[in-house]
Amino acid sequence: MIVQIITTYGSLLLRAMGQTLLLALCGLFFACILGLIFGLLSVLKSRVCNAISTIFVDVIRGEPMIVLAFFIYFGVPQLFNSILRIPMMLSALQAGTIALALNCGAYMAEIIRAGIQSVDKGQMEAARSLGLPYWKAMQKVVLPQAIRTMIPSIINQFIITLKDTSILSIIGFPELVNTAKNVVANTMRSFEVWFIVGVMYLIVITILSRFAKAMERRINRGRE
Amino acid sequence: MAANKQNAKIHVSHLKKSFGALEVLKDVSIDIYEGEVVVILGPSGSGKSTFLRCLNRLEDITSGTVVVDGYDITDKHTDMNKVRENVGMVFQHFNLFNNLDVMGNMVLAPTELKKATKAEARENAMRLLRRVGLSDKAEAFPAQLSGGQKQRVAIARALAMNPDILLFDEPTSALDPEMVGEVLQVMQNLAQEGMTMVVVTHEIGFAREVASRVIFMEGGYIVEEGTPDEVINHPREQRTIDFLSKVL
Repeated sequence: MIVQIITTYGSLLLRAMGQTLLLALCGLFFACILGLIFGLLSVLKSRVCNAISTIFVDVIRGEPMIVLAFFIYFGVPQLFNSILRIPMMLSALQAGTIALALNCGAYMAEIIRAGIQSVDKGQMEAARSLGLPYWKAMQKVVLPQAIRTMIPSIINQFIITLKDTSILSIIGFPELVNTAKNVVANTMRSFEVWFIVGVMYLIVITILSRFAKAMERRINRGRE
Repeated sequence: MAANKQNAKIHVSHLKKSFGALEVLKDVSIDIYEGEVVVILGPSGSGKSTFLRCLNRLEDITSGTVVVDGYDITDKHTDMNKVRENVGMVFQHFNLFNNLDVMGNMVLAPTELKKATKAEARENAMRLLRRVGLSDKAEAFPAQLSGGQKQRVAIARALAMNPDILLFDEPTSALDPEMVGEVLQVMQNLAQEGMTMVVVTHEIGFAREVASRVIFMEGGYIVEEGTPDEVINHPREQRTIDFLSKVL
């Protein structure tokens, strides 16, 4: 009975959804920083900077996130503890945040690069011709315009990242999928539990995408 | 307008500019003096826009010497931002900042570069907008303006930095014909007030009436230069004659 599962495990699942959102927010926060750094590196007029950005994006996009998560959660601490003899421990939340941030950051870097490149280069030239330094021009003229075109893709990426947190159930972080697996193990009610979990994801993501649409409309209003 | 020969505002000698294997400017030398209005004519691909963009180093200079306002801009250590504060540029496609309204466009550089307080910059901007006949458009965004209005704002924006020199890169080429006049009028007023101007254009009429000197460029060289009467009415070089016969 679905109702029975909800009354018994509802609060547990809700708390697990809270953990999912926490993990997603942590990951997204650092992903935005990484994305901005590597996105900007890729548009600078420096071959070295461009190459660093390309390597980061290619390596991260060339790995499944589950491999990334295992590597960071199990591989990296072992490297430090057994090989380098430096004590180190990562919690599942820390490792999960790093894995999500790297994975999402690589895609964000591409979104930010494309967004900046979509701004007519005359905008930068005009700003520079007035004597504004490169970074000022970027900050006051180019980025504000780039962000407008990036917003739909960024929100899309946010939603993907939120869903990707489920992969991190594999390293034992008590997010929604991991918790649901335990509930199934206790109750043997696969259909009910996964149905409830599915509905929970659907609700959160629907709310997010509605919010995103509203924000997109607000930003685009009045300026055209 | 009598040019003051003591005071070369722009000194260019043996300027060369290549894009990869393509040499666009082959050997350009010229001095431009204070208060002069130099109009550069020439067919497309002659290098005239590239030449103009070398004067504020929007294009990197391959070789040669360019001295602007006393600064050697071919020297890597020259602070180009300082030079550009005194050298305004007006672009073919206006390049107004689309994320800012007209007032925002006008005050961004003066306030960011600490040339003026916000209040001073706004006051100066209103004065300049009145001068180009657009004081009622201060709150408008670029997308709400016509081409001619955009270009007049772009000129006002350049003037807001109080430059010594203005560079115009085909300022009327992207305009509908009925809007060309209003922009040329603003430029003519500036010329009469003694602004040093370098103008790349196809407006032969403007060159004839406003220029103190006309330069004809082709194939990366200055082919002919002189007064408007000399170059436009009595050209000596065959290439100038051929070009003028096509555009007049």
